[in-house]
Amino acid sequence: MEIDLSFKMVSEWIGILLIFSVMAAIGNYVGYQYPFVESLIGMFILCLISLVGLIVEKLLPFDNIPAIIYISLIGLFVALPWFPLADLIIYYTSKVDLISLTTVLLAYAGVAMGKDLGSFKKVGLRGIIVTFAVIFGTYLGSAVIAHIALAYTGMI
Amino acid sequence: MNNNEKDKKSLIDDYKLHITILFISTISLGIGTINIPLINGFNLVLLPIMYSLFLAVLFYIYKPAKWINKSQSKTCAEILLILISPLIVKLAIASGENIDILFNVGPALLLKELGTVGTVIIGLPIALLLGFKREAIGMTSSICREPQLAVLIDKYGFDSDEVKGFFVVYLIGIVLGTIFISILTNILCYLVPLHPYSYALASGIGSTSMNVAAVSSLIALYPALSDKLLALSGLSNMISVVFSIYVYIFISLPLTEKLYEKFHKYFN
Repeated sequence: MEIDLSFKMVSEWIGILLIFSVMAAIGNYVGYQYPFVESLIGMFILCLISLVGLIVEKLLPFDNIPAIIYISLIGLFVALPWFPLADLIIYYTSKVDLISLTTVLLAYAGVAMGKDLGSFKKVGLRGIIVTFAVIFGTYLGSAVIAHIALAYTGMI
Repeated sequence: MNNNEKDKKSLIDDYKLHITILFISTISLGIGTINIPLINGFNLVLLPIMYSLFLAVLFYIYKPAKWINKSQSKTCAEILLILISPLIVKLAIASGENIDILFNVGPALLLKELGTVGTVIIGLPIALLLGFKREAIGMTSSICREPQLAVLIDKYGFDSDEVKGFFVVYLIGIVLGTIFISILTNILCYLVPLHPYSYALASGIGSTSMNVAAVSSLIALYPALSDKLLALSGLSNMISVVFSIYVYIFISLPLTEKLYEKFHKYFN
């Protein structure tokens, strides 16, 4: 089996993750007044786990399992109460606000979407109708199931 | 990510691009969350994530920074593939940390995640009727928030039709979602009188702004229950943010794929 993992690829991942860490930590400080150094350590932890997940995906021979599964399982595992470093990991990553992380991410997403704006315009009203249907379906579907579950467990 | 040709520039080198992104995101976070009170105690909540997305799109359209062009747009799409990972880790850590809530609060919170099946069943036929093709899978397999984006990009690639469809619902959801869900809450409570607790749980659909909009409308309708409604919806939203990704990967997305394969030919 051929492993599709090169030094260049890994160093590029590390570089991007470092840039992202600094940006998110700055954003955290500006937006939420979290201490810069603690945010940065939190970002490094998030990025280290990401890096492990990305590398594991390339090393393991299962082609149809995406990196995201490994990444989310590792992330879940290291935060479980019985994992020795859990307290430390939870403390520092809690200094990274979800919104500041996502804000940086969406700035990249906005530029990335730039080249596809033409196809968005074509969608127009049809897109709005589908969006409303999606929100309606999720909301009502969840409410009905929640109602049945609450009634069944005697909470209402 | 088989991008190892020698002539290809590294994703890191374009420092002007990264500085521009830093500029956009820092400004957005600097402005911060804004609450605009509208009628009936309903607040329109504006979040930094919305500003940064729109600012970045505006930067691309109006070119105040001349170095942002199509090639940067492509670079950003590749960078995103890497950047979604730390976001997933952040969500996964929250779920590991709160695993006991899951055992304590009872099955309703978790089962309600299966409500996304309603998304597919109502959304997919409408999307197909309106003539969408593979985009329909990205559009109607979920409520289209960040966790699902990560899964779609990972599975289909940023430039796929599925991800384009996702972004249609994602963007329109950001612009109109809060207003739509608060009106919807008023209508549904009248027409489909489920217990308010059920709607409170349902309002936690993984989008902070929509959650806030829905629960504020609900509280306006049932002021006596306000504390309990707030608690339930907050907990539910947290669970959604954290666990919806697993429901998405293992249930909703495969289900949407199956239904699409089965039925799309009847809509042409």
